[in-house]
Amino acid sequence: MTTPLLEIKDLQARVEDKEIIKGLNLTINAGEVHAIMGPNGAGKSSLSYVLSGKEGYKVTSGSVKFKGQDLLSMSTEERARNGLFLSMQYPTEIPGVVVSNFLKQSLNAIRKHRGEKELDTLAFMKHLKQEAAQLNISPEMLKRFVNVGFSGGEKKRFETLQMALLKPDFCILDEIDSGLDIDALKTVSDGVNALRTKENAFLVITHYQRLLDHIKPDIVHIFADGHIIKSGDKSLATELEQSGYTDFLKEE
Amino acid sequence: MTMATVPLLDNITLFLDNKPSVYGLRQKAKQALEKTNYPTLKTEAWKYTNIKPILSSNFKINTEEHQCSCGCNCCHHDNSSQIEISFCNGKLHVEEYNLPQGLNITPLPEILYEGEYKQYLFNSFNLEEHPFAALNGAYLEQGICIYVEKNTNITQPIYIKYKQNDCNGYQINIHNLIVLEKNARLEIFEQFSSDKKNKYLANIVNEIYLKPNSQLYHYKKQSESINSYHIALNCAKIQNKASYKQYYLANGAKICRQETNVQLEQANASAEIYSAYKAKKECLNDITTNINHLQPETYSNQYAKAVLESDSSAVFQGKIHIAPLAVKTEGHQLHKALYLSDNAELNCKPELEIFADDVKCSHGASCGEIDKEQLFYLTSRGIDKAEALKLLTDAHLNEILSLIPNEKIQAEMHF
Repeated sequence: MTTPLLEIKDLQARVEDKEIIKGLNLTINAGEVHAIMGPNGAGKSSLSYVLSGKEGYKVTSGSVKFKGQDLLSMSTEERARNGLFLSMQYPTEIPGVVVSNFLKQSLNAIRKHRGEKELDTLAFMKHLKQEAAQLNISPEMLKRFVNVGFSGGEKKRFETLQMALLKPDFCILDEIDSGLDIDALKTVSDGVNALRTKENAFLVITHYQRLLDHIKPDIVHIFADGHIIKSGDKSLATELEQSGYTDFLKEE
Repeated sequence: MTMATVPLLDNITLFLDNKPSVYGLRQKAKQALEKTNYPTLKTEAWKYTNIKPILSSNFKINTEEHQCSCGCNCCHHDNSSQIEISFCNGKLHVEEYNLPQGLNITPLPEILYEGEYKQYLFNSFNLEEHPFAALNGAYLEQGICIYVEKNTNITQPIYIKYKQNDCNGYQINIHNLIVLEKNARLEIFEQFSSDKKNKYLANIVNEIYLKPNSQLYHYKKQSESINSYHIALNCAKIQNKASYKQYYLANGAKICRQETNVQLEQANASAEIYSAYKAKKECLNDITTNINHLQPETYSNQYAKAVLESDSSAVFQGKIHIAPLAVKTEGHQLHKALYLSDNAELNCKPELEIFADDVKCSHGASCGEIDKEQLFYLTSRGIDKAEALKLLTDAHLNEILSLIPNEKIQAEMHF
């Protein structure tokens, strides 16, 4: 049997004194797309922060293995270098840090970790412009400060651009559909679908079934009160959309 | 009766010659220092900057002849197409300059005998109020005079490079004069550098005279050894409609003090001072300004941004004085600091003395820490935590550096 890409066992975590993840089990294999749906405040975003090692999110028990390695013992940057990527619901604005410079440092840090040659400015810019054009990102935007003054659509396209450049093995997409109009949703979804391979996997966090029409999941999980209460195929999302969270949770 | 010894002034053995003009200037400076001695923490202008480590270091004057006519490494011109003046270990590297019309550059010793330049020496400040400038004057020998004739626009910036690569245990006193006649325009770029371990005192005085309608852009980058001491005084006298713009970057020295005194002595004179600095671990960075608005409709603006590492300290004391005549004047000052640690100390002391009505003045100070969300975003993209911190601190400081109008110099003014 092949090693799962991500294997979460009985994970419990807290922020300050509040328990947010309460006994989560989840296994994701290479080539799969999993969706996590659930009401506001269920702990979906917290799960993405726990997995990427954000300060303040403390794991109290359980284990997470990523490509067979202990993920929880790694720093945030080590997780990223090993192939984990979090596309954030609200990407942070960083005034004073220019997009192209940020992306170059990021890509070279990851290339170095993989034992690949770091790119010089010229080679990097050529590569960057090609990838940016695929996502309708103008060269002008690459000269701006990271996420500063970006529209909702630009922010999510920029997150997608980073995935295209860094080629992570496992991507968590935290509400990548929030703040997007229909056209932007299509651009971003097409961008994500283009990145799918047999070697990588995606965890799509969303409130709406609409996104899952574009990025088609293999498995859908319903997440409430810090753990998964039900898993199924894509029809689960449709069922949920019809009944709403409140009724659905009552039935369970 | 014997005089009490004054630190750093033990051995005035160095004299150019017996010309009474030079001897007189030196004596005047020496006597001023002997009278006032050095400031202590009880001296208001120095209350946050403890100079004891400098005074106890017993830095000597280097009396050896400068050996740099050979094109040795320290005098190597980085770029032969630019106008470049070098001081190697405190000694002027004398050479022929190929200068544009209307620009004169003369080594200081030569001008000391010329009446027309002598009027500018020690004329922009009071020796008894500036002990380190008095020390500098007592050893008056090294320096340069840059003189721009009227109606002359010098488009090439003048680089002044101070390279302290081999001056452990020495004090370096350099005294420059910069005079811009009516309608003249000039850019100068002072660069201070040294080898890592060198421990010395760089004591620099610039006297600046801006005649009506002239413009001086003054860039300075200090990136010296963290064992060295750097004390600099810029004094500018600014006349009608003339403007002085200073862009200053500091990134080194155990104790670094940059004091800038400006006299806006005629109507519509203006001064802008932009500073970006890193106070390094166990180092102190001091920015002190005195802006004197003497006449109507004068303008000043000071904006400084700082990054304070752990166990560092910083001082920002800015005085704006508005004389009774100086109506319709504007004077602003702002300091923004970013702390990298709880163990850092910042002393901000604004002093506004306003004796006129109908003026606009402001002062402000803010401080903050690294934004944890920004740090997380960068590290979650694989960037090393130390690299991410550098990106964020540079971003904070770059707001100041991005104000530099000359793009080529902006590219050189980095941390």
